[in-house]
Amino acid sequence: MLDIFRWLVNSPWSHAINSYEWVFPLVQSLHFIGFAMSIGTIAIVDFRLLGLGMRRQAPAELAADLEPWTRAGIAVMLITGPLMFSTDAVAYHYNPSFRFKMVCLTLALLMHFTLHRRAVQPDVPPIAAKLAAAASLLLWTAVVAGGRMIAFI
Amino acid sequence: MTIQSLLNWIESTNLSIAIREGGLPYPILGGIHLLAIALFGGTLLAGDLRLLGWLMPSRRFSDMWYQFRPWKRLGFVVVVATGLLLAWAEPVRLWGSPSFWVKMALFALVGVHALVFREKIYGHPEKQDAGISSQAKLAATLSLILWAGLVVSGRLIAFDESFEPRPLGESPTTSHAIGTR
Repeated sequence: MLDIFRWLVNSPWSHAINSYEWVFPLVQSLHFIGFAMSIGTIAIVDFRLLGLGMRRQAPAELAADLEPWTRAGIAVMLITGPLMFSTDAVAYHYNPSFRFKMVCLTLALLMHFTLHRRAVQPDVPPIAAKLAAAASLLLWTAVVAGGRMIAFI
Repeated sequence: MTIQSLLNWIESTNLSIAIREGGLPYPILGGIHLLAIALFGGTLLAGDLRLLGWLMPSRRFSDMWYQFRPWKRLGFVVVVATGLLLAWAEPVRLWGSPSFWVKMALFALVGVHALVFREKIYGHPEKQDAGISSQAKLAATLSLILWAGLVVSGRLIAFDESFEPRPLGESPTTSHAIGTR
């Protein structure tokens, strides 16, 4: 595993990102815009499931309307994230906050494409839908918080 | 009172010291700032993309606008409040950071944008229900550009050469260590 990370650090794209001061922050900004798009739209659906607004639409409708943009945001996130990772893969690998973030991200993504999709259906009991929404908000919050802590740990 | 002495005074306040040197407060505020960006940015994107006809085209603009607005406002308040606290922690460095001034200039333009398009679009979203005007599409495009610029310039603040690294384990010599990011 470490060998792969060392190879990543020496990969052409890693060199390209590290060669110019401004490339890394630019990739990181795209990462932020990607997660604003995905987590922002997921949060809207979660708030709807919790009964906090957007009541004129059924949760399933709202989720279906927003899903393409959620996915586009996730795609941007999953391209820019590994690019940043590859610039300093070994250090990230040993960073506890990074590991915490990866665990939460895996759970959050799994949840989004399984339970969360189920939770917006009209036949789901409201309490189950609310629990799913709260868990989703909590997981994505942990992903962002874990990400921010990487630089400080 | 000169600007410099004002900045120095801000840095000497207990609040500034607590955020800057307290360990956890700085990244926690940063984390809340990012979460608020997700909330505000997500709802802002949804509104602008609706005006461009790329999201929820079958739903009336005013309908989604009014429903998203409380969340967008909450996100905005939190992002500005945490941003002010983060700035309060290191005003001297920010004063010398070019990216910070680009960000503030963009922020001022965001204000101008809001005032210019308030009457015809954002203040009266019903006017767009019959069909999105080309002016509204222009407003949405400008808004997306301005806010993307705000994110980029905000992120660049941490990479400015004039920006001295923060004490909390952030590498003083190279921006290529993850510690500075």
